[in-house]
Amino acid sequence: MIIKRTIDMTRQSDDVIVKTLSRLLIPFIQIYALYVIAHGHYSPGGGFQGGVILGASFILLVITFGLDNALRRMTERLNTILCSLGVFIFAGIGLLCIILGGNYLDYGALDKIFHVGIAQARSLGILGIETGVGIAVMAVMTSIFLDISTGGLPSTKERNQSD
Amino acid sequence: MEVTILVQAADESFRILEESRNRARQVLDTAARLTSEAQILQRKRVEAIFKGAKQTKAEVIRFISTFILLLGFWLLLSGHYDLFHISIGVLCCGLVSHLSHDLLFANPRAGDMRVIVKRFIVYVPWLMYQIVLSNLHVARLALWPKRLIDPKIIEFKSKLESDISMVTLANSITLTPGTITVDVKDGIYYVHAVSKKVAEDLMTGEMEDRIAHIFMEADHVYVQDVLDMAPIFVELK
Repeated sequence: MIIKRTIDMTRQSDDVIVKTLSRLLIPFIQIYALYVIAHGHYSPGGGFQGGVILGASFILLVITFGLDNALRRMTERLNTILCSLGVFIFAGIGLLCIILGGNYLDYGALDKIFHVGIAQARSLGILGIETGVGIAVMAVMTSIFLDISTGGLPSTKERNQSD
Repeated sequence: MEVTILVQAADESFRILEESRNRARQVLDTAARLTSEAQILQRKRVEAIFKGAKQTKAEVIRFISTFILLLGFWLLLSGHYDLFHISIGVLCCGLVSHLSHDLLFANPRAGDMRVIVKRFIVYVPWLMYQIVLSNLHVARLALWPKRLIDPKIIEFKSKLESDISMVTLANSITLTPGTITVDVKDGIYYVHAVSKKVAEDLMTGEMEDRIAHIFMEADHVYVQDVLDMAPIFVELK
């Protein structure tokens, strides 16, 4: 016998402690994620780790405030766009290096556009790559979670539209 | 004969007068109703404009305060204070405050933020002292040869109203050794207490009063207020 269990993710959490604390912590989690992404070329961390933390903050938002609230901040359409935008930034910078006469992801070639010295150009190139990876990882994490947690069910808004 | 004609004519004229008066009254009534409706509409429109302006203003204030707080956090994390890193920080803080400006200050009450922060700073050392006291008590429970441990779950109805004060109370209870908040449902706290003394300490409600004092919840006699008033009563005696 197959027991079908669906969790209604459109519902808010009814625990006042969880709700208040995540309300207070989510902005700081997000800024910490962006810090990890932006300082990836100086300190431990980088695009993947920061992206995962950023995705986790959205997942926390879905768990505590419900799917509708989270989708008001970031729609699934925007999420999909960000997914591909991240990969596009990563591959775009790599290809730009080839076009400028270097190897794939050879950031030193970017010096020909920015004129800031080869070392600085490498640093900037790494930052760009980190940003792309961060965006892609965040969007993919969020969309995987949304697909699994809702079991493919539409949100309340979409349900109302189809009715 | 002439008299009857005269009376009829008078009747007729009276009737016409009455009719015209009624009609005039109707017209006036309609005009008055229309103007009052127009006035109400006008007032509603003005109110809507003012309300919208107030909402936008509140939103802008929330955005700015979130932004400043997050920028401070960013500068604390980032060790690089050159123009490049700070400008990235401003960008990121703007992004995050745009995304979640309604989370951090969800229901602020205007003007009393400074008082709350001041009272909270005063509250923290008291909480530390309580933690030390109950630490010693729990150590005594563990080391005493006789079994003094008497665990139970107590429940009490809290008088606190806002979510932030309820969370502060729940976390203060959990932070103090010997007591753990199991659940909070509709203002009723379910607390696991390890011994009778701890439970009795909690049931005196001093912690709750202090937290109500911090967040200025209404309808409370605060312990602090009573302590402040005590010397005056002594002098009066």
